[in-house]
Amino acid sequence: MSALAPTGVRVPVPRRGVARWLSGYLQMLRFEAASQRDWLPLLLVVELLIGAGMAIMYGFYVSSVPPRLAAFIVTGTPALALFPVGFVMLPTAIARRKLAGSYDYVRSLPAPRSATIAATASLYTVLVIPGAAVSLAVASWRYGVALHISPMIVPAVLLTSLTAASAGAAIGHGVTDPMVTSLIGNLIIFVVLLYTPVAFPPQQYPAWLVHLHELLPFYNMAIVLRAALSVGLVADVGRSYAILAAWTIAGLAFAGWIASRRR
Amino acid sequence: MDAGAAADGSLAARAEPGAGPSHWLHGYAAMVRWHLLSLRLWAPAATAIEILSGVGMVYGIGLLAPHLSARGALYATTGPAIVALILLGLILGPQLVAQEKMAGRYEYTLTMPVPRSAAAFAWYTVTLLIGLPAAAVTIAAGVVRFGVSLSVSAQLVPALLLGTFAITMLGYALAHAVSKPMATMLITQVLVFVAFGYAPINFPSSQMPHWLVEINRALPFLPMATVVRAGLTRGLVTGVWVSYLVLAAWALGSAWLALRALGRRG
Repeated sequence: MSALAPTGVRVPVPRRGVARWLSGYLQMLRFEAASQRDWLPLLLVVELLIGAGMAIMYGFYVSSVPPRLAAFIVTGTPALALFPVGFVMLPTAIARRKLAGSYDYVRSLPAPRSATIAATASLYTVLVIPGAAVSLAVASWRYGVALHISPMIVPAVLLTSLTAASAGAAIGHGVTDPMVTSLIGNLIIFVVLLYTPVAFPPQQYPAWLVHLHELLPFYNMAIVLRAALSVGLVADVGRSYAILAAWTIAGLAFAGWIASRRR
Repeated sequence: MDAGAAADGSLAARAEPGAGPSHWLHGYAAMVRWHLLSLRLWAPAATAIEILSGVGMVYGIGLLAPHLSARGALYATTGPAIVALILLGLILGPQLVAQEKMAGRYEYTLTMPVPRSAAAFAWYTVTLLIGLPAAAVTIAAGVVRFGVSLSVSAQLVPALLLGTFAITMLGYALAHAVSKPMATMLITQVLVFVAFGYAPINFPSSQMPHWLVEINRALPFLPMATVVRAGLTRGLVTGVWVSYLVLAAWALGSAWLALRALGRRG
């Protein structure tokens, strides 16, 4: 019998339990990474445009940039670079699948839906790091701001990009019309770039707007990243971590629920 | 028999000459109707989005730069309407064409017996219908927000017409000449980004490096802003005639490129 063992013999896929989930997760991770190959350069371009590009652009809008404002702009840059990948590009990628008709094919793959969602979310969590780092370096050079990078940068980057990817997965799976997905993406970019205290001190914004943003993810993303890059610019980071964690769990749960629903 | 004869008769009555101004005008009117009907849900939405983005920009600039000079306030009042028009011309057309391509309706639209130039001009007309009301609201919001007074002159009419034409044709050319919808979307998004912050439209050019301003003089966005601002203010901008020439060159070049791409496919 052993002589008959074919070279392409399939490893039996575990039918249940953690092993099955993990095997599905790893296979979906490979599937996602391979199918997003041509999409990756675009992600990097978007990150650099909205990260480094916005950091420089804000300087044009504000004719003179005092040192404190420069510190805010520079430490806000990674959040600017991070948010569009999860919040906008990921839903767009899912919407593209819906348009191309491959969405249902991916649904039919024999992996747990939660493993599929987790694979997409973790891929998009890792993908954003190079673009955010380059954007931060460009902004720091442009404004001559020295950074105080603490080890907290690791959890800060991981949690913020995971939050963005989870919310993006929720939008991508939850919204049926790709046109609406694109509209939501543009609205988010607009609101974050002009109406969220990411690159500017919150004192510049109306109090009600800041209070609203304390509950939304974008401002909190900026806070945890800024806290890991500077000294004395933000206080009360724990609250922001908690709110981001809540958004992440809600986003993943919603995306998982939508994706596993029978239609 | 009666019904058949009636159908024949109406067909004969509708038959148009294959060339000449009346054929062109008929095609133009038909395409305007076609666009308005197929956009009947999206046209009001597009106007609403235009107003939101324009007015949103006005108030957003007020948040980012709370201490504007009188000159800066004039730029922040007049700029957002121009950026919103650029956004419309560069995004809406390519977006619709990309959708047609992805849905497989693109070739169908190309088979319509309408001169290409009439179809292009019809699209420009629809863009004006959506964009101009929104531009008026945006400028009014700027006047309220920054408390500046504008001096509107008759120059505003040719400025808006030529500026919107140049931008719409640029979007039209990108949509038709670039075969991959994804590439078109990427290019137009980058151009919108440039119009928003790397062209001195919402702020004076003195706030930008000199070399960047010089590059912008050759691109269509700054010239469009210059001619429109010349129609809204007095003594704020110079080099209006050169801007008209640059805009006209972009308009003709883009229109030629789009018509060539369409002709080749047709």
